[in-house]
Amino acid sequence: MTHYDAIVIGGGHNGLVTAAYLARANKSVLVLERRPHVGGAAVTEEIFPGFKFSMFSYVVSLLRPEIIRDLELPRHGLHILPLESTVTPMENGDYLAAWGDHDETRRELYRHSPRDAEAYDEYGRLMHFMAQAVKPILGMVPPDPTSFAPSDLAGLLKLGKHFRGLGGERLHALVKLMTMSSADFLDEWFETDVLKATKSASGIIGTFLGPRSPGTAYVLLHHYMGELDGVFRAWGFAKGGTGAVSEAIASAGRSFGAEIRCDAGVSKVLVRNGRATGVVLENGDELHAKTVVSSLDPRRTFLQLLESDQLPSDFVSDIKRFKFRGSSGKVNLALDALPSFTCMPGVGRQHRGAFSISPSLEYVERAYDDAKYGEFSRRPYMDIVFPSMIDPGMAPPGKHVMSIFVQYAPYNLNGGWTDAKREAFGDAVVNTVESFAPGFTSHILHRQVITPLDIERITGLSEGNIFAGELALHQLFFLRPAPGWAKFATPVRGFYQCGSGTHPGGGIMGASGRLAAMRILKDGT
Amino acid sequence: MNYDAIVIGAGANGLVTAHYLARAGKRVLVVEQRHAPDPSADIGWVPNAIIRDLGLSGGGLRIEEPDPWITAPLPAGGTLELSRDIGRSAEAIGRISPADAAQWPEFCKRMRTLAGVLERLYLVPPPDIESHNARELARIAGLGLYVRRLGKQTVIDLARILPMSIAELLDDWFESDVLKGLLGALGVWHLKQGPRSGGTAFNFLHHLAGSPAGTFRPPRSNVTQTLEGMKRVEVRRGNRATVLAKNGRASGVVLDKSGDTILAPLVVSSADPRATLDPVAIELDPEFARAVDNIKARGVVARGTLTLDGAPSYANLCVAPSLEYLERAYDDAKYGGDSAAPYVEVQRTDGNRLELHVQYVPYTDGTANVQRHQALQQKVAQLLSAQPGQVRLQSPDEDEIQRGATEGHLYHGELTLDQILFMRPVPGWSRYRTPIAGLFLCGSGTHPGGGIPGAAGRNAAREIP
Repeated sequence: MTHYDAIVIGGGHNGLVTAAYLARANKSVLVLERRPHVGGAAVTEEIFPGFKFSMFSYVVSLLRPEIIRDLELPRHGLHILPLESTVTPMENGDYLAAWGDHDETRRELYRHSPRDAEAYDEYGRLMHFMAQAVKPILGMVPPDPTSFAPSDLAGLLKLGKHFRGLGGERLHALVKLMTMSSADFLDEWFETDVLKATKSASGIIGTFLGPRSPGTAYVLLHHYMGELDGVFRAWGFAKGGTGAVSEAIASAGRSFGAEIRCDAGVSKVLVRNGRATGVVLENGDELHAKTVVSSLDPRRTFLQLLESDQLPSDFVSDIKRFKFRGSSGKVNLALDALPSFTCMPGVGRQHRGAFSISPSLEYVERAYDDAKYGEFSRRPYMDIVFPSMIDPGMAPPGKHVMSIFVQYAPYNLNGGWTDAKREAFGDAVVNTVESFAPGFTSHILHRQVITPLDIERITGLSEGNIFAGELALHQLFFLRPAPGWAKFATPVRGFYQCGSGTHPGGGIMGASGRLAAMRILKDGT
Repeated sequence: MNYDAIVIGAGANGLVTAHYLARAGKRVLVVEQRHAPDPSADIGWVPNAIIRDLGLSGGGLRIEEPDPWITAPLPAGGTLELSRDIGRSAEAIGRISPADAAQWPEFCKRMRTLAGVLERLYLVPPPDIESHNARELARIAGLGLYVRRLGKQTVIDLARILPMSIAELLDDWFESDVLKGLLGALGVWHLKQGPRSGGTAFNFLHHLAGSPAGTFRPPRSNVTQTLEGMKRVEVRRGNRATVLAKNGRASGVVLDKSGDTILAPLVVSSADPRATLDPVAIELDPEFARAVDNIKARGVVARGTLTLDGAPSYANLCVAPSLEYLERAYDDAKYGGDSAAPYVEVQRTDGNRLELHVQYVPYTDGTANVQRHQALQQKVAQLLSAQPGQVRLQSPDEDEIQRGATEGHLYHGELTLDQILFMRPVPGWSRYRTPIAGLFLCGSGTHPGGGIPGAAGRNAAREIP
């Protein structure tokens, strides 16, 4: 029987990153993936013949540059195509556009408000700086403020020094970003409603909060941390879809000697005398390893892979309290022609970027109100991209794929999700797009509607939360996923966690996977 | 007559500052725009230090701590009454939810511990986290150590609960809608936020300061009346005062009606920061002026009185039957309208005066709207089974017109996490000073904010040289 140094449960991007780093340190590593291919929520699938979709996660930007470097991902096929513009259609037929060319964006803003065009640069500088200031924290193992261990005290001191080093003005900006609603934060800067709406929309992604809910300003910043080739605030597609990112990391892992087994779901972690010794597969096979690492979300990691008597009871209740509340869905469409939007008719460079359906703050807030009371948004917030415009391989010649990220679609829908409800949700999405791009519906060849329940069923992410646990202030840093257990270790010796449900979490970032691998190597497998 | 100091506003904070300054030997004049003292009760904890320092007990201070402290109608008829005695409350809760009754004692204890941490922070100036001063750093370290000594659970609770929404916090503990509604209401007091908004758990804890475990409504008192009645400082009524400042230095105030100028080397304003500083904005750095303009003080509460034929059976009635009721009330305000079904609380003071707190009635444009006023009166009367004529209300707009409080916000700035401690009233200026030499702030707009009458006034007085 083979005995591995480490078994990684789950072949999503974080699991693969952990495996690759462990293999790179000459450990024998086995990755076990339940589905027929790796990637988790970062997968490309040919859903309709000839049409390929980044089924769930569809943009790349948060992936840590040190991971790209350490694992030499470009050599393994990672190629990012920049996504430059965002057009926000307004209900009055006008639009607000942000282009790749900074001066053009300023001119466009000036059209709406000279004051905002002025403030925009200052705002950008501040956010850029704040993102820089927070970045070191993403790469840091969170110190535990309740512990008196020297390493924790040193960590806290270092953190205190780091923050004080920012200076008053920036420190205050940070406090505001951590506590305010994105709408209130943006109100301090801008007067143009549609500008605030489209900016605040990035503050609600993946959360069960509206733009007026405190805590959303932080998500605004989280999305500013995107970095491609060292350029801040750059978003892009992976050539071949998001699945190509997972494939590249998997390929890097294999090149270091990691073994990846698909169609191999894990049902339990084996624990002997308080120590993890391996896993049991769904088919009953047992595999053994010195270290077991789970990249699944905290709920599945602790409440499903382990028995509750293997964990301290207060830890179990902390994990049970960890909030998921998936709020987003996805609609993937195969088109025979690109839609023409009323605000910017025809087909052109606007289709190479994103369309944000966030015409006003009130529109987005009302979309949230629906979800708050258990309904999907009748007129949802949407982020629309056409990957086939930049990566023609995604669709047959002359045809296109359209990816629509939709919010809000609550996991706990009144009466539960049914096939009929799913289609009604799909209709709401299509009808809303139609209202901004008349005639669009007639170009739809195929449609795939994904609800949070579908996300949960397919990827295993609890309640379909795309961040493997809400990015709320009380679920971040030393509280992610539970106080005292934010350093990738778990109450079971030899058992670690490395998914997005751990610090810093969220997005295709890989930081959790990397930090977990560092921790495991430090502890010695 | 020459004065050493002029205090603007004869509310609790203004008078407390004036009394402390007088006690330190300064000749103090308080200027107040209202002709007659405000008869409404002061709501909130009056810290013992103030009572002791200013000898308020001898001045006729009355603190009311009603028992039971809340009465809430039950949907099936009858009421839920919660008492100061934790066991009795648990018994009452047990009749609607045994599970909640079991949770009650532990919930009361945990919340009390956290409120205790706030009390300690509230009686001193906020920590200056930018300071390089060894004494200040030692003080901050001392606060940190104090919190850690309270135990691991308290540290975790503080970090977890403060940014939470009150709805999440209560959902963690309880199942009964009525119980969560009456507790959740305290979390949204004077906030343009609903119970599902982050930071409302902090607002909840803020309003627990000074109350014993198991009581979730602040005490009421006559502290303002007591201070004025003690006649230790001169109060001149009937004129609104504007700060007089030139070349970055305050020199006194100008009275609006009489046109009099009163000079003094020290001016302390208990009016809200925006109302105080806007008239002298020309003296301010634009960044600072912008920060003052950005203070969120969105009034959402109509206050007033209810006149009934006989004394009611309750001391404090709460109409907020569930968290969803509160959230929907907020939704209306979010888009600028009054709540179709507002949260209403009736508080009986010991003179059998019934005071109303109606939320959400958002500030609109600073004008009084008769139609809107009548509709609101009718709605509230209906909720309380009274006649519209028995309800008298003042909306935030009307409050701004009458008292000049910016956007009619009682606390001069919402108690949200970005507007407390060293962020209050504006980031970096939490030590009661302003960029104008000789001009200080001492009102609810400063740390620790509204709902703790006199605390800001006392902290300010101790910072004034």
